[in-house]
Amino acid sequence: MRAEIPQVTALFPDSRSPLNAPALRTAPAVSAASALSGVQGVPGDLTGAGALPVLPALTGLLPAGLPRGSVIATGAWGLLCLALAAAASGAGAWCAVAGLPALGVAAAAGAGLDPDRLLLVPDPGSRWPHVVATLLDGCDLIVLRPPSRPSAALRRKLESVARRYGGVLVIAGDWDGAHRRLTVTSQEWAGIGSGHGRLRARRAQVVVDGRGAAGRPRARWLWLPGPDGSVAPVVSSTVASSGIGRSPGAPAEAPLWRGRSAG
Amino acid sequence: MSLARRPPGRILAICCPDLLAGPAAPEAPPPIAGPPPAPGPRPAPGELPVDPVFAQVVAAIEDFSPLVEVIAPGRCAISAPGPARYFGGEQALLTKITSAISALGLTCRSGVADGLFAAQLAAQAAPPAPAQPPAFPGPRPPAPLATATHVVAQRATARAASPEMAQPSPAGMIVPPGGTPAFLATYPVSVLEVPELSSLLPRLGIWTLGDFARLPAAEAASRFGAAGAQAHRLARGLDPRPLIPRPPQADLSAGREFEPPAGLSEPVVFAAKALAEELHTGLAARGLACVRLRVEVTFADGRENIRLWRHDGLLSELAVAERVRWQLDSSPTGLAAHDPSAEGGPVVGGIVRLRLVPDQLVRDTGRQLALWGETAISTRVARAATRVQAMLGSSAVTRPLLAGGRDPAEQVTLIPFGDTATPALPAGRPWPGHIPPPAPATVYDPPLPAQVTGEAAVPVEVTGRAAISAPPAWLSANGGPWLAVTAWAGPWPVTERWWAAIAARRRARFQLVTEDGTAWLAAVQGGQWTLEACYDLLPA
Repeated sequence: MRAEIPQVTALFPDSRSPLNAPALRTAPAVSAASALSGVQGVPGDLTGAGALPVLPALTGLLPAGLPRGSVIATGAWGLLCLALAAAASGAGAWCAVAGLPALGVAAAAGAGLDPDRLLLVPDPGSRWPHVVATLLDGCDLIVLRPPSRPSAALRRKLESVARRYGGVLVIAGDWDGAHRRLTVTSQEWAGIGSGHGRLRARRAQVVVDGRGAAGRPRARWLWLPGPDGSVAPVVSSTVASSGIGRSPGAPAEAPLWRGRSAG
Repeated sequence: MSLARRPPGRILAICCPDLLAGPAAPEAPPPIAGPPPAPGPRPAPGELPVDPVFAQVVAAIEDFSPLVEVIAPGRCAISAPGPARYFGGEQALLTKITSAISALGLTCRSGVADGLFAAQLAAQAAPPAPAQPPAFPGPRPPAPLATATHVVAQRATARAASPEMAQPSPAGMIVPPGGTPAFLATYPVSVLEVPELSSLLPRLGIWTLGDFARLPAAEAASRFGAAGAQAHRLARGLDPRPLIPRPPQADLSAGREFEPPAGLSEPVVFAAKALAEELHTGLAARGLACVRLRVEVTFADGRENIRLWRHDGLLSELAVAERVRWQLDSSPTGLAAHDPSAEGGPVVGGIVRLRLVPDQLVRDTGRQLALWGETAISTRVARAATRVQAMLGSSAVTRPLLAGGRDPAEQVTLIPFGDTATPALPAGRPWPGHIPPPAPATVYDPPLPAQVTGEAAVPVEVTGRAAISAPPAWLSANGGPWLAVTAWAGPWPVTERWWAAIAARRRARFQLVTEDGTAWLAAVQGGQWTLEACYDLLPA
């Protein structure tokens, strides 16, 4: 609010990088805190080549990260949307979540989002495109569940706003013309039986496809979430060799229940 | 005597409990200090109900002194010495003012003390002057006195029974000159309204303002920082920040003309936010901050509406805009908030000019960011959030604060952007009975109704000894289709707050996995099944 914050920042020339990512206009203490708190991602990452970082578990699916100005669709609301935003938030970006009144903030924090840099607009109302465009001006990443199905013209308009401000739109739903589309095709919960145990982790197969040269479908098995709420790759020889649509084989911790396989 | 040590001037504070809105100052505390009450959630700024009746109160007080400082809706203050000399003493002035307000049909409390902080506390401790039924059909019926008010009045009387203490009279409470430190000494430190100190000081064994004031000032400043130093000055009965006596040379005010005149209050409030930013930039460049602000609104027919607003914390842009909104809403020639045609009053042709004048300036001691755990909000984010708030209302944009509790829905407190609050249930405690991680990504607040039956299509029941009547086999969420339960765990009984009849809950919780791959957190209370959260939905 007052002018002393820029003066404090100016004492640390590192945070004034030439690329000058807006998200790093925070105090240096904050960046240091997130770097020390064990969140993946170096505070300097955001200034890098026009892409927001993704969690190490997702680099196999999105090797280039989340390019600024892109739209990522996830098919439906779920932890996957939060996992996509986690690394950027942990590295200092501001995230907004719009149109999701039932967001579990504890799950977001478990996936790696920093609740201190989270804006929630649970009900953006009928003027939601204006709200999203305004949020794109301030935040680096927006997780959006559109309250109504947007027309093609509206989609193009929001895409151009995202490009102009360099923000990333993660859509919890379908979005024709999204740059990448990630979907959970099959999943199984571990740790719960018939009257015993508890939900401990979910093994989920995530498939990505998209436009252009990078559109070749890839699939990975992820802990989404893992036992501590974080997102991690499933490291198991049987799973690593499995392709799309194939059952993961015998998992290490025998699941008592196996989900439907839609892939 | 140096300026910093000079006792503050005599202030008369008036408090209308019927009209109090927003973060009201705490009620008069018990004389023996106990642990400070947990601060409750505050209402969102900008949503405070503003009562045009209060404008009549201010107008009534303006008959006694032209410079009325409005602190918040329902609370205002004037400088006492001048009017007291004219009307024959502070006691006579109090009597006249309280009878003038009572004639409006309102309950009011008033107090005189050295400095605004003590005067407000004196006003709250004063016995309320009951509303007199107005001779004409008044703007509102006299409010019934709450039981709590009687208790407060009795306490105030008990407190004043000690000889050197302040004296309440039917018209209010007068703390004698120089008696302010003794008056303040019995209050708990929570009345300072500094959240960090309210919890920290009692843990250090400092329960009352008297204990706090006995600490050396330099030690308080070095241990508790600039905010602590101000609180320490308040506890000693001094002004929180010494005023700069000489007005600065440059014109620091900020103004804007509206062409055509603004007929709605929204654009004026929005402009006020920008003006406040301009004002702050000008002040910050000179190392100053403003604790009293004069808001001047000029209407198209030449009328002016001028009001002074005081704030002990420094006035932020949002706080300034909020006060402009209060002033416009409470103005007798006020604008309709949304629809100009709905206003039945005189049409004044809108607002042509808004001017913010910093009235009392203090040196800006700055704000030190905490080393850990505090996030600076960049102006870019703040601007975007404020613009969305202007579109949807201030509580539509929130920041989450992780809290404690056993339910996923309890574990987060949403704070409107630009506001501060502390969670009702503190985080970092064990909370036995909470569901261990991973946390659900979808939390239903309020929970969804559901039906759970066994194989025999009979609803599953849980006995008092946490035994189930049948294993859950079918689930219907919110009237939806029946899904087969393929895995389940539970019941996990939770008994909460059995000592409080209203808040007590006794539930049994389950985790259920249905055939479509979705995992649910379900609970049964009194035979009713609900779904508290959903771990993840598999897209169909």
